[in-house]
Amino acid sequence: MQQTRIVVIGGGATGIGILRDLSMRGVPAVLLEQGGLANGTSSRFHGLLHSGARYAASDLHAACECIEENTILRRIGRHCVEEFEGLFVLTREDDPAYVAPWLAACARAGIITEEISVEEARAREPALAPDIRQVFRVPDAGVDGFRLVWHNAESARRYGGEVRTYHKVTGIESVNGKITGLTVCNTLNRESYPLACEYIVNAAGPWSGEIARLAGQRVDITPDRGTLLAFNHRFTSHIVNRLHKSADGDIFVPHGSITILGTTSAQAKNPADTTPTPEEVLRLLSLGEKLFPDVWEYRILRVFAGNRPLYTPPDHDAGRGASRNFVIVDHEQDGLAGFASIFGGKLTTYRLMAEKMTDLVCAKLGVATPCRTAGIPLAAQPARATLERAGRRLPAHGARLVAERLGDQFPKIVNAPEQDSGADLLCECEMVTRAEVELVAADPTTHFLHDIRFRTRLGMGTCQGTCCSLRAVGVLSKSGVAFAADPRTALRTFLQERWRGLRPVLWGAQAQKCEFNRALYGATLNLNGADDEAD
Amino acid sequence: MNMNVRIPQPDRCIACATCVAVCPVAQNCPDFPGPRMMGPARQRFRLMGMGEDEASHYCANCKNCDIACPGDVPVSAFIMRAKAEICKKNFPKLRDWILAHGEVLAHCLRFIPAVFKNFGMTFAPARLLLDAIGIARKASLPNFAPQAFRARLARLAQPNLSRAVVFFPGCFVDTYEPESGLDIVAVLNRAGYKVIVPGTTDDSGAFVCCGLPMVANGFWQDARDNARRNLKTLAAWAAKGMPILTACPSCALMIGKDYAEYFPALIAPGQSSSLVDVCDFLIGCVERGELALPAAPQKVETVFYHAPCHSRALGIGLPGLDLLREIPGIQAEYADSGCCGISGSYGFKKDKYPIAMRVGAPLFEAMRQSGATLCASECGTCRVQMRHGGGKQTVHPVSVLRRYLG
Repeated sequence: MQQTRIVVIGGGATGIGILRDLSMRGVPAVLLEQGGLANGTSSRFHGLLHSGARYAASDLHAACECIEENTILRRIGRHCVEEFEGLFVLTREDDPAYVAPWLAACARAGIITEEISVEEARAREPALAPDIRQVFRVPDAGVDGFRLVWHNAESARRYGGEVRTYHKVTGIESVNGKITGLTVCNTLNRESYPLACEYIVNAAGPWSGEIARLAGQRVDITPDRGTLLAFNHRFTSHIVNRLHKSADGDIFVPHGSITILGTTSAQAKNPADTTPTPEEVLRLLSLGEKLFPDVWEYRILRVFAGNRPLYTPPDHDAGRGASRNFVIVDHEQDGLAGFASIFGGKLTTYRLMAEKMTDLVCAKLGVATPCRTAGIPLAAQPARATLERAGRRLPAHGARLVAERLGDQFPKIVNAPEQDSGADLLCECEMVTRAEVELVAADPTTHFLHDIRFRTRLGMGTCQGTCCSLRAVGVLSKSGVAFAADPRTALRTFLQERWRGLRPVLWGAQAQKCEFNRALYGATLNLNGADDEAD
Repeated sequence: MNMNVRIPQPDRCIACATCVAVCPVAQNCPDFPGPRMMGPARQRFRLMGMGEDEASHYCANCKNCDIACPGDVPVSAFIMRAKAEICKKNFPKLRDWILAHGEVLAHCLRFIPAVFKNFGMTFAPARLLLDAIGIARKASLPNFAPQAFRARLARLAQPNLSRAVVFFPGCFVDTYEPESGLDIVAVLNRAGYKVIVPGTTDDSGAFVCCGLPMVANGFWQDARDNARRNLKTLAAWAAKGMPILTACPSCALMIGKDYAEYFPALIAPGQSSSLVDVCDFLIGCVERGELALPAAPQKVETVFYHAPCHSRALGIGLPGLDLLREIPGIQAEYADSGCCGISGSYGFKKDKYPIAMRVGAPLFEAMRQSGATLCASECGTCRVQMRHGGGKQTVHPVSVLRRYLG
């Protein structure tokens, strides 16, 4: 029987952070993820690396954690963090009385704020509403959730950690109130196998309630759905927040080539309930226009939703009122040793959550090695010579993009043989080359086109997969990479997944694009999506 | 660049790649990533603060992308702005300055007799020198006219006519082909219009180069300065209710369409900077009975007609072809063979000459296949390229008409 010491359940930021921490402390661990890495909440948020300013007035503790982790992540995750600045903007509709206490709270949390004139703010961001009243700078930043998870996973693997994607936990075994192992199903070949371990960490995010139930335990968690809009281009180079008590549709985050507007908050039916609606889109737009009046004119690329794993004990608020702090439950208190759950929190504090969780596990196991995750970068900065070499091969200025996406794998692309550099672009919208796709496809955790999408942004730009998915499938078929589905199914599944985020925003140029896409695939490959429309 | 101008957005592009399919450069130069990538796709990266792709210099600004785009995306304008950004950082080559500022150069050289200037462009050692600065040795450069169009017009006694039009000659007619301009003046006189070319006697109030060669070579500010001067002159004449004509489709496109796209802040609200195409105007003269066409001769002559890309980009049909078809005794044969490749000064450049010749190859072949001995096209540099690649006499459609009017 297979065995390891620790099993971490959940391939989001928290789980992968725990795996990296355990591996760096020399504890053998396996991470199990039911889908692909980062396919849950960690990739379904606005991409904000909080300064803490958003929580300062309501939750000082959370704000302090944010600013500390923000500083650490800028240092260890340079590839994943875009060093924007945040602006907090008081619009016509916001209460000016909120400003003074908010400023005081930021100061208490150690968050540096600086007021700038409305004129200066509009000179920096000309698309901002002309009738805004006050603007403050804060040290917000952008973070790529996909990339953060991947770079953590690669780092963890270098320290000996093991990642198994598309492996679903179907049973948790214990003897005399002590965990002995679990049953795992490989969803790709549907084979089940037992895996013995000493300790299980439940970091399954919105699914952690279900995992706890497998162990006969209960956690008070409510999946809380947040819907977000992705716009086709970057119309702001700052993160722009409304200066008021956190509410829906009050934050814009530039993210690579796009801009994201978030968020809503509503209780989800179940952890997988992430299909957004046109009503949510219209609501977000009508809120977003207070900051950017032209928001109706900008083309929406897609809409997506994620579920926050909010901690909601029986006597507490749900939704916006629920705490954004994280919670660790040691189920030994409830009679099951070797099992702990972690949930709540924010992506910004994922490393801290991992550290606290790993501290607990190590204490149980008698491991005394201290945490080092705050000091060691996730990936090394590429050497100047490597970047220069890449600059000569890749499309103009594309080297920086690729270096940030691939982290430590980047030199592999650059060192490919000269006669077949693979520099041809498969995805023009996000500048993804064939070499990059082939490299990611060869990774053992990659089984579907969307795994490639998470790592490279293939299919996430203007055309939403129209041009690149067919090219990628062609390249992968030719290079003989073993995929979980035949090429036609791979293509169909990928396009259908893109369509899910397009359907609620079918107007303007995006409707034209979809019609073009439909005609193209219908006429050439007889793929019309009709078979996949459940409702 | 004017900071008040809204940054052009890439949102209308649906990535259909029609522009790539029709781009003559993309079809003939694998190093050019194509208009979609260089225009709207790259715009998303520009907004991320990423620098420009040097490959934008391959764009010939022929505007076939703009013509083909179903979404009305200003594809070529994105690329022209990109060239301007690149030129802000690295000052362009001497060669590009010369090609962009033909008018300034001609003005500086005006006291040197044309025979010497032209000797300099045909004499082998001189061509080696031009080759060294990047002008293709094989390219057929237009000859300087002994006297500029405006100088010849000043000495021409036009009949005393009650009606008048203003004529924007453009650099090519003014410097290299005054005969075409004089043909146009003669035909307009025959139709009962006196032709006014501002600045004929002195330079005050004269039109200047439309600025298109400057934009195409990255000299954005110079083009803007010229646009401001021309718009002022145009507004003054328009206020007098005078039709303003041009015979050059590129000047018409730059002034009538691109000024508003590139320099919106220069256009007064409600101002139209459109010029009237001279062929279009003459068709109107025929229809109004102002211009009587001669009776059909015994022998029908075939004229091979090529529509310049910039004519097609104007979106006014093909008035040059229509005019030829109005002439009794002329059978106009429409080439319909795409771009000739020259794109103003593009095909003169050493690194672009082979591309331009490949682009023009279908047109040259069509010319050779045609039984016509005379070819026609409105664009001056198209005519240069057609003579060079197709080896046949090529004139402006109005010159054909003048010949028939006798």
